[in-house]
Amino acid sequence: MAIYLRPASLKAALSTLAQASGKGRSAHPLTVLAGGTDIYPTRAGKQAWLESFPRDFLDITQIPQLRGIRRDGRAILIGAATTWTDIVAARLPPAFDALKQAALQIGGLQIQNRGTLGGNIVNASPAADGVPPLLALDAEVDIASVRGERSVPLASFIRGNRQTGLARDELVVAIRLPGHRASSRSLFLKLGARSHLVISIVSVAMLLDQGADGTIADIRITVGAASAVPTRLAALEAELRGERLDASLIERVTPGLFSVLTPLDDVRASSHYRRAAARILVRRALANFMEPQVEEVAA
Amino acid sequence: MAPYIGTATSRIDGIAKVTGAAKYAAEFNVPGLLHGSVVTSTIAKGRITRLDTSAAMRVKGVIDVLTHENRPPMADNDQAYKDDVAPPGSPFRPLYDDKIKFNLQPIALVVAETSEVARFAASLVTVEYEEVAHVTDIFAARDAAVPIKPPASPVGFTPPKARGQPNRALARAAVRHEGEYYVPIEHHNPMELYGATVIHESDGKLTVYDKTQGVQNVQRYLCGVFGMKPEGVRVLSPFVGGAFGSGLRPQFEAVLAVLAARALERSVRVVLTRPQMYALGYRPAMVQRIALGADADGTLDAIAHDAVTATSQFEEYFRQETGWSGLLYKCANAKYEHKLARLDLPTSCDMRAPSAPTALFALESAMDELAVALELDPLELRLRCYSERDQNHDRPFSSKALRECYRQGAEAFGWNKRNGAPRSMRDGSELVGWGMATGIWEALQMPITVRIALTANGSAEVACATSDIGTGTYTIMAQVAADMLGLPLENISIKLGDSTLPNSPVEGGSWIAASVSNGIATTVAAVRNELLELAKKVPNSPLANAAPDEVKLADGMIVDERDGSRSVSIADAMRHGGVERIEQEETTNPTADDSRARNTHSAVFAEVKIDEEIGVIRVTRVVSAIAGGRVLNTKTASSQILGSVVWGIGMALHEETLIDHKLGRVMNANIAEYHVPVNADVHDIKVIFVHEHDDSNPLGVKGLGEIGIIGVAPAIANAVYHATGKRVRDLPITLDKLHP
Repeated sequence: MAIYLRPASLKAALSTLAQASGKGRSAHPLTVLAGGTDIYPTRAGKQAWLESFPRDFLDITQIPQLRGIRRDGRAILIGAATTWTDIVAARLPPAFDALKQAALQIGGLQIQNRGTLGGNIVNASPAADGVPPLLALDAEVDIASVRGERSVPLASFIRGNRQTGLARDELVVAIRLPGHRASSRSLFLKLGARSHLVISIVSVAMLLDQGADGTIADIRITVGAASAVPTRLAALEAELRGERLDASLIERVTPGLFSVLTPLDDVRASSHYRRAAARILVRRALANFMEPQVEEVAA
Repeated sequence: MAPYIGTATSRIDGIAKVTGAAKYAAEFNVPGLLHGSVVTSTIAKGRITRLDTSAAMRVKGVIDVLTHENRPPMADNDQAYKDDVAPPGSPFRPLYDDKIKFNLQPIALVVAETSEVARFAASLVTVEYEEVAHVTDIFAARDAAVPIKPPASPVGFTPPKARGQPNRALARAAVRHEGEYYVPIEHHNPMELYGATVIHESDGKLTVYDKTQGVQNVQRYLCGVFGMKPEGVRVLSPFVGGAFGSGLRPQFEAVLAVLAARALERSVRVVLTRPQMYALGYRPAMVQRIALGADADGTLDAIAHDAVTATSQFEEYFRQETGWSGLLYKCANAKYEHKLARLDLPTSCDMRAPSAPTALFALESAMDELAVALELDPLELRLRCYSERDQNHDRPFSSKALRECYRQGAEAFGWNKRNGAPRSMRDGSELVGWGMATGIWEALQMPITVRIALTANGSAEVACATSDIGTGTYTIMAQVAADMLGLPLENISIKLGDSTLPNSPVEGGSWIAASVSNGIATTVAAVRNELLELAKKVPNSPLANAAPDEVKLADGMIVDERDGSRSVSIADAMRHGGVERIEQEETTNPTADDSRARNTHSAVFAEVKIDEEIGVIRVTRVVSAIAGGRVLNTKTASSQILGSVVWGIGMALHEETLIDHKLGRVMNANIAEYHVPVNADVHDIKVIFVHEHDDSNPLGVKGLGEIGIIGVAPAIANAVYHATGKRVRDLPITLDKLHP
């Protein structure tokens, strides 16, 4: 029968992982389990094919420092086992609005209560809704093992469809958001075949920082579900940076700037549609930032 | 006492349901209960060459693994496997032999002490196959499809006879429309998974709690399959968490649980997983061609309706797919053809209003297209083609208030404010579309037996073996009995869902409301007659000279209807007669008169708002006006229509079983990827019941379980056309279909 380990400390978890991924008698691959919202359906899917899912699990949900959101200097650290609901409830600057909006659209509330940010990036689905907002925030991934700690940009951590740069003895400890301006705003737009509880056909995260003179000081645009890995549109960002934020910019969002995307034809949509929808969502996101800002007034 | 019939009475089983006191088939427990996990095939066609269960058997807690090689005896002839509603053919036999007829076919049952162990061990069973080429694509099987055979029985389904000279009429028509329409396979996804708990009683008898729409059908079927005596098997289904036709035929969970209980002489539960539910029936895919010919004034002159639907290789499932178009509109010339395409899938089956939502998607889309060609308002076209007769059988309708549905529905919707030109209506950046369609369904009644036991303290038990599949049968039975017995609702207790109760047909075809309510009326009359006899014997009885049809039961009294002051209390009558309990059981048969057609009708109006750039469709408003005879309970009836409309939205925009034809296997066999509407997809739905008097049965009930879904998908598709100018003839209307 399967092994199910639930260490109470990070140290114990890392040494268990090291043992399990070493050579010799105690070696046996461990699957890290947090919310289980990706592992459970995978297991059910395998079972329908009469395929066993002989995984040994390392449950990391009892390790206190893996869950929660805290400051580390200028950076904000989100623990790997922090749930979507935790993120929605946290007080975070407007640059994190996109991440919160994504959190609210990942499954239903029960899934949001279970699913974790770390799981979302390690699962590395092309349609992971958490990834585009994080890429727009220039997220880094804090990784630990008994060999030491390292931090890598999320953009290079996810290497392909369901592929990451995580070694077998390593654990994602936190997602590090290295700094952002208080004036940065962000937005996440998701398009699916129904209003909710749906895998994205395409998604867009945009982070925008407008200078005092009305020009775009910084803009970061990421498209999800339209490539093997959610992709920053660097050429489009360069096109828009330094420009005044006004309606004429919408016309600058031209199809050529989306050529970096490699959308699939699949049951959810055609590649042609995905490419077109990505551009429309980006234009809408941009237009959204042009709308007058409404101050929240206490009742 | 106010009458209950026709009121918005809350469900009498509502509290039991929301508190969990209502137990479903997989919730009955006994000590020592074993759990079965089903192993299913991973190929679509061929045979098993090797089935290795040794690893599963070695798991601690596993009791046995049953396969075709070691199972106890089962019947070896088709007749034994024919249930009450089986289509023609050779029914599937679970775990019978090594043959694989469809993907996800059950091939082994792992029985263990816990469900977790059973499920784990099931993953260790290994199978080798000899595979044979399969076909699961209706378009690949279309050319080989064969016309359906005329049914053996007169109530069977067959395309209506052609009338007039359809070819000539089409050729000479001033305006013609011809189109091909497609509806994909849709799978049943009721909330409750199929499950059966079989209690192996100490005397060897079996008590079977099964999820089913017909306990007696399952009981007879199990007796046939296992050669058991009827008194040895009792089937119960007190509550059902949605079935919609998937539980009309006995499903394999019951066979497997009984098989294990007999083999092991233990109590066993088998519950299917959600993916395994895709091995049950489904609404068949349907490819249709419709040709309409009309005079310039909008009078329909010709209809040609051809359909190809999907069935399995071993049974021929079909309904009256093409018949609806002959029934709905006045048209002198018509012809029909219906072919079956055989696929290597399980047999298709009934799903809410089988054949009508798919057939009317084609017909009502085609009528909309004809209206466009005629430059006529789509509602006006329907009115010009309105039929006062069932032309398929050349007879009048028992009642047909469809005109009133059109009128009230259009008024509630505001149809007269519609600008007919496509793309002419907007709301901000969104395109607005208004579409409409008609629905028609059967108003059937079936033979049924009801037993009523009345006690002197004024409480009554009403018993019948029908099911309540969530529609509210418990409640309407209690309402009808309370009114007719003249007792408060809370004094009525309902017994149903038990094969030992008086006979009932399966709960399907929207026929139970009409059947059981009139069945109660018949039995109440027998109770009343017995009470009157007792009342007459009371000294100085004021009812001494009353005839049975001159008295009624009201407020606990037997009352002379001509003179309300002449009455005897039920309690007095029974006490004087020394009777503690009156029990009557009567069978009610529907009228044998088939000189009139009996149907329910609907007019559906839908508003869509469409994000023009990316094709996101919101169904912002639906008005459904229903002519369904007398409504017994406005609350449960409205719920039936609301749920139907939501399903219609799903049919229009979301539902589609996706099959990988290379593997012959459903790709989206789960409710994450098999899309149905979520709450956020459902907006304003208004249900209208128009007045419709029908004298086909004493209570004037027609049944409302199915009519609500019919016409919803074409109303939405027509609204999408009106909004965008784009006609989508294949469902579902996904976002990319609206994209240029």
